[in-house]
Order: sequence, then C-alpha cells, then structure tokens
Amino acid sequence: MHEPNNLVDQLRSRRQFLRDAAGLAVAGAVSTMPDVAPAAPPPVRTFRRGGMLYRQLGRSDLFVSALSFGSHTDPAFRVHQGPGISTLNPKGQALRDRHIAKALDRGVNMVDVYDRAGQWKPIAETVRSRRDRVLVSLCREFSQVIGDHVEHAARRFGHVDLYRLAINDGPVTEPTLEAWDAVQRARRMGDLRATGIASHCEEAMLSALDKLEGLDFIMFPYNFIHARADYSRFLPKAIERGIGLIAIKPLAAGSIVQLDPLAQHGSKPEDPQVRLYKRANRSLLPAVVQKLTEHLDRVPDESLCQAALRFVYARPFITSAMPGMFQEHEVDDNIAAIQRHLVLTPDEHAVLDHARHLCRAQGPRWLPPHYRWLDRCWRHA
Amino acid sequence: MPEMVAKFSRITHHRPPRPWKVALVLFLLLTLAGNLCDTFHDHRHPFWTWPSSAVAEYGDEEPTFFQAAGPCARCHVVSVVEWGISGHFHAQTNCQSCHGSSDDHIANERNEIKPDCIVRGEAIARQLCSRCHVAGCPSTQRTQSCQTCHHVHALLDPTKRPATALRENQEQVARLHAYHRQMAEAKTHFARKQWTRAKVFFQRALELMPGDRSASAGALACQRRLHPMLAGFDSVGEAYDQATGLPQDVTIEGLDLPMRLVPPGSYEMGSEAWPDSQPVHTVRVRAFFLGRTEVTQNQWQAVMGSNPAAHQGEAYPDAASMPVERVSWHDALAFIERLNHRVAGGGFRLPRETEWEYACRAGSTQFDPSEALAQAWCSTSTRQKDATPDAVVTLEVLSTRPVALRRSNAWGFFDMQGNVAEWCTDHWRAYVSPSIAPKSTTTLRVLRGGSYADTVRAMDPALRHAARSQHRLRFYGLRLARDVPNLEPRDLD
Repeated sequence: MHEPNNLVDQLRSRRQFLRDAAGLAVAGAVSTMPDVAPAAPPPVRTFRRGGMLYRQLGRSDLFVSALSFGSHTDPAFRVHQGPGISTLNPKGQALRDRHIAKALDRGVNMVDVYDRAGQWKPIAETVRSRRDRVLVSLCREFSQVIGDHVEHAARRFGHVDLYRLAINDGPVTEPTLEAWDAVQRARRMGDLRATGIASHCEEAMLSALDKLEGLDFIMFPYNFIHARADYSRFLPKAIERGIGLIAIKPLAAGSIVQLDPLAQHGSKPEDPQVRLYKRANRSLLPAVVQKLTEHLDRVPDESLCQAALRFVYARPFITSAMPGMFQEHEVDDNIAAIQRHLVLTPDEHAVLDHARHLCRAQGPRWLPPHYRWLDRCWRHA
Repeated sequence: MPEMVAKFSRITHHRPPRPWKVALVLFLLLTLAGNLCDTFHDHRHPFWTWPSSAVAEYGDEEPTFFQAAGPCARCHVVSVVEWGISGHFHAQTNCQSCHGSSDDHIANERNEIKPDCIVRGEAIARQLCSRCHVAGCPSTQRTQSCQTCHHVHALLDPTKRPATALRENQEQVARLHAYHRQMAEAKTHFARKQWTRAKVFFQRALELMPGDRSASAGALACQRRLHPMLAGFDSVGEAYDQATGLPQDVTIEGLDLPMRLVPPGSYEMGSEAWPDSQPVHTVRVRAFFLGRTEVTQNQWQAVMGSNPAAHQGEAYPDAASMPVERVSWHDALAFIERLNHRVAGGGFRLPRETEWEYACRAGSTQFDPSEALAQAWCSTSTRQKDATPDAVVTLEVLSTRPVALRRSNAWGFFDMQGNVAEWCTDHWRAYVSPSIAPKSTTTLRVLRGGSYADTVRAMDPALRHAARSQHRLRFYGLRLARDVPNLEPRDLD
C-alpha cells in the first residue's frame, strides 16, 4: 500500500477506514457530517534546508519554517507590570533568549513577538544580526492606533513581516473593519509584508474570509485531539482561497504534554488552567484517546508531542505550527519531529480520524463532566 | 619604427612591408575618405550640420528652419528637414499650425504624451490642407487625397525650387498673413480686457482658418468672460482662469460649499516610494472644479436629511463643520445624485484618482512631511494637540476636526491630506498599461488622502488606498468635483 502523499490520499484512506470499520456505533452520525474535503487544494511550495521544512505562507512571498516560535513566556519567570502586561525577570529572559537563538540556529525563521510581554526589545536585539533571515510576527495588542503601532514596530525591527489582528467571538464588526483598514494602509506603505488575523472562533474566521480584503494568513488552534479541529466549514474555504494557515496550540495548550508518558521532566503547559489530562485523572480518559496514545507511541523514540506535531506538519495546508517551548529539550524535540517522516501512515491516519470523529460525534460527552466547559469554551482556551 | 616593424614581422612571421607600399596605402585611404565625406557634406560646414545637397539647394543662404522649428527639431530631425525644404516653411506654417501647441508633448521627455493633433489618412486633406488651400490643389484642383501626390511634410515637389511653389500659392499666403493680423489684433484686445472686440477678431481669424484651435479657444475665452457664470454656481471674486475663461472661485447655490477651478495641465503621477504607486507616469488632466473642503456633516444633512457621522453629538460641538464620515462609496453616489437633481445644471461627481492627486500635489513634485503636517489632521498632529506623546494613543482619543482649520495647499484646497480619506470614482487597479491590465473585477474603490488616524507618512499625495465600496468606516468621507463645460468650438455662438 502506497503512502498517502497528499490530502486527497489522506481523505481516501479516511473514507476507506470509515467504510471498512465495523462495530462503530457512531458511524452513521459521522458519515452525515460535512468532511474537510477541499476538492483541489492548490499546491503548496515547500523546500527543505538544513533539516528544516519551509512552506509558502498562502499566496504571499514569504516562506515560513514548519516550526515557529510563539510569543509565550514561562509563567514561572513572569513579573506583573500592570493590567495585561507582564515581563520576564532577567533569568527568565536570558533563558528565553537562549531558546530563541537556538531555534533560529536550527532553522526556525519566524518569531511571534508581544510587546506587552516585554519582548520587543530583546527579540529585536536577538534578530538584529540575521534580520534578513527571520520573519517577525506582531499582533495588535491594545486598541492603539495601528499606524502608530506599525511605525513604532518598524523603527524597532526595521520592518514587520507579519501583522495580525485578534478577532474574538462572532462575525467581523465595524471596529475590526476599521482596524483592518489601517492594517491594509500600512501594508500599502510597505511596512508590512503579510497581514492576517488570529482567532479561536470558526464563525469569526469565516466572516473574516468574506469581509477582509487582502487577508494572507490566519492563526487558529489546530491539533489532532480536539473535536472541533476539523473546521469543516472554514478549512475548505480557506484552502480554496489560498490563505496561509498557522496552527497555534498544536499541543492543545500543553494538554498533550501532560498526557505524554515520554515527556521529559520539566515539561509543562503554558497555563495550568487548561490542563486537559492530569495524570491523576488518567483513568477518566475516554478510551478512544487512550488507544490513540498507545498507537502513536509505538513509533520508536517518538514522544506523543512529536506525534501530535507530526500530525500538524503532515497537513500540507498548514504552513507552520507554533507550540510553546519553555525548555531547551522541547526545542530539540519539536525540531526532531520535522526530521521524521512527515506523512502519517494509513494506520495512523485511520486511528487519528477515528478518534476525532468519535469525539465530534459524541459532543461534550466525550470529556469528563468536570472538563466539559473546555468544549463549550474552547475558543478561550 | 624599424624596431616595431621587425617585432611585428617576428610575431606574425611575415616579411615587413615595403615603406613605399605603406605610404601608398595611407595616401589612398585619406583621399578616399575626403571624397566620401564631400559627397555628403559641404566642406565649408561642420559635417554634423546639413547634407551638402541641402546647402546647395539654398546656395550661400544659411538654412534657418531648424531654428524656426524650435524644440521640435530636437527629436524630429527628418520631419523638420522635410518641412524646411517645402514651401510651408516660407509660408510660416510651422509644426504647431497642424499639430497644435503640443506643450505637454514638448515638456514630456519620455514621449508618453502625444502631440495635441495628429491627423492621418483621408482626414489630412479635409482637416489640414483645406484650411489654406480652400480651392484645392493649385495644380490639379483636387480637394482630397493630397498625400497621394505630396509627401506628408514636404508637401511640394522637392525637386522644384521652393520659391516657384510659393508663387503658386500667393492667395493662401495672403490668407495666412491676414489670419496672423487678426489674431494679433484679437490678442491685443484680449490683453486690454475688451472681450467683445477680441471675440470679433478671433472669429474673423476663425473664418480665415476654419477649425483653428487657437482662434476657437480665444473666442470661447471671450465668450466665457462675457457670460462667466455656470448654472448652479454663485461666483466668488473677480479672478478668472486665463486658459478657460471660467471664474476661479464659486460656491454651490444653496449649499455654501466652495469650489475652485483646477487648471488643466499634466504632472508626474505616482511615486517610487510606495509599491502600489509605481511606476511614475505622466498624466494629463482637463480643467475641473473641485471642492475646496470636504463635504461637511451640515452639508450632508442638508441634502440627505440624515447624518451618518460617528463624530457628532454633545461631545463634538463643532460637528456641523466637521467632515461627514461613515459613508460608503454608494452613499457618496446617492448624495451626488440628489445634489444633481437639486442644483441647476448638475454634473457633480466624485473626483477621479488622477484629478485628486493633481489637485493635492498643487504643482509640487516631492513629498514634504513637515508641510504635510502643517496642512493635515493626522494622528501625529492630533497627538501633539493632546500632548500625550508617550502614552498609547487609542483611536478613541482621535477624531475628525472642522474643515479648513489647517493651512491650505498651494492651490487653496483644504484637508486634501488628513481628516477623512476621500472616495474617488475609480476602481482599484495597478498602474500599468491599460492594454496589459486586466479589467478590474473587484469591488474595491480608490480612496485618497490619509485620515485623522493615519501617520504623517500616509499623507503623501501619491499613496493609494482602496476599500470595498459598501464599507462605511469613520475614516471615509468625500469631496465634490464638477466638470467644466465642453471647450469645443461648437459651443461658440
């Protein structure tokens, strides 16, 4: 059996699995659901260099490494500076600088930067010597005037490669359109190379696809474990329009790290509030997820985190994944996942899809009662 | 020398040439070259002046038609020579007589603007030759297809002496001289502001040279000065535009919206500084009226009966004189449609992108941020007023400002940059040749001029912006434009 090397093959294996799988009580429900079936996904331009995989970001002229460095900071080193503003203490900052420098040395070429985390100045100094090889991604953090914000950032970083707006619940509204108008003007002035949004809400993303002119990329949570990760309405439309898709929370905000029996000591999620699987609650895990864990762990030396990232990397329409990295070995692990074969085996596909469809079909019941809030409020996770 | 010859022979393994042979070859070469040049150029003149045949045609007389042709001779050398050896040169029928003044063409070094008038084919006889040769060809009396016998520039047979040809056209030459006399008289009266008499002389000149653009434009200018008003306008001041004869400053009847005449001309549109404004290209603009200010909330309310602006209410006591915003492109069209029904004559519209940039530049070629800051309400100038340079400036602390508070540009237009961005009629498309650019299928319409929320860099007149035509944001407003009446001769009495 040949290995699926594109999405069509993946879909075919999925359908084959669904057709052949016996004894699935929810098969009927699954089959009635819309599938992520982009009929003819545009070819994604990719290349490998130095062990890193680079993909074109949508229809822009930017190539982004499959692994990118997020704007997260280690909570253990945070110093509260005011409402919504927390910086790192010197020790934490030194650690983060070292991790970013290491990631950049290993081929990561995109860094997401938050000013309210106090990261503009350190990142600007870190990337100064290799500015032409590093893509700096920024976000509008407050309701500041975007022209001023971009101009300030351009003075700090030389120029800004990616700029995005964060869109919360619901469709795009007039304030968002106004902000987007300012973003597009900054882009026409040559200050920005690609513009996009970040959202946890499928409805907001669908609305953005319709209403926002010049949309290059979307950052959205995407991982194998969550029932909503199919985005059955959003993904086909985004792929058809050639929007660059950047997966945030590819490890389910650290939940998979908690789940991973092979995770090294010290690995932890960004926010303890979103832990999905505590070791103490392992017995409460749904059987399907447990089985999935066992199945993916069969690859020698591969951790569950690497398998989860491999699931994301294997999607050709996902340009880059942005997991949290607080430890040096996490940088190594996440990059090592790219070295592995990025095409999942049919068995792996079948199990992953089975798990996701089961979760989706069962709705909130798939979670233990005291974690069901997570499914309702996933967008806030 | 003998050493060099010996060295040459060693290298080439040839015998050194005999000295007498070398001398003979050199002599023959120099003689041949001298004769060759003399066959084409007169030895009394530098070789780059004329062909000697042209000098022989004129004898000892220095040909002056290159000087007479003026700047045309810089590029159109062959055409000027053809013209110079024809009788038209002596009849003082120069390039401008047929091709118009073509000032823009002369000024445009990149040759992107064509001459004012280029007539080809059968129309040559009808539109050009018949102006003077009313009775047709002096030899054949034919009135059409002159170019079948005559060259397009050297209209007379070049083998004939020009003086001979000239004698055959004494009547036409006399008519031409009469035309020049009438035009000189007309211009004299025009300078003295004697519009009626000037108009009479222009019309006489037009009778002598039917279709002459200078005479028709002069007559039209006199007509405009005798009846300067356009329907729907109240005149302000006594200033008139020399080229069009129209009043420079007017207001719209019943709306108190001042407009100013933008003179016709050409300019370099675009900028290499912005990706979407490239390439810089020459654009010619006809005369048009443009609102001196953006349409205010008060004026919008007067026409539409409602006020969509975000900045109104008790927090904004000057809201009536602040520009209207939160209007889409379609809203702007609806406003204009109502205005055209309401004001006699109608003809109001949104400015074209080329017109907007032309009026905003007001003759300037370089963007000056300090000057823009003095003219524009932008986030930088608003922040200075609020004196909070270090704090995070949010959109809520910024707002539009009453129109005409900042300094006007060199042509007297207020808030061209800043305050609100202004809708233009054009679809958004790249600056490429129309033959290459695909027809725009987007609903994006061009917006020009930054808004109060933009930085001073965004005030560059060349910077382009676009938005969907149905979007209503608090940065979008409008400015009115109106065409001037047609300047064609058929408008004359």
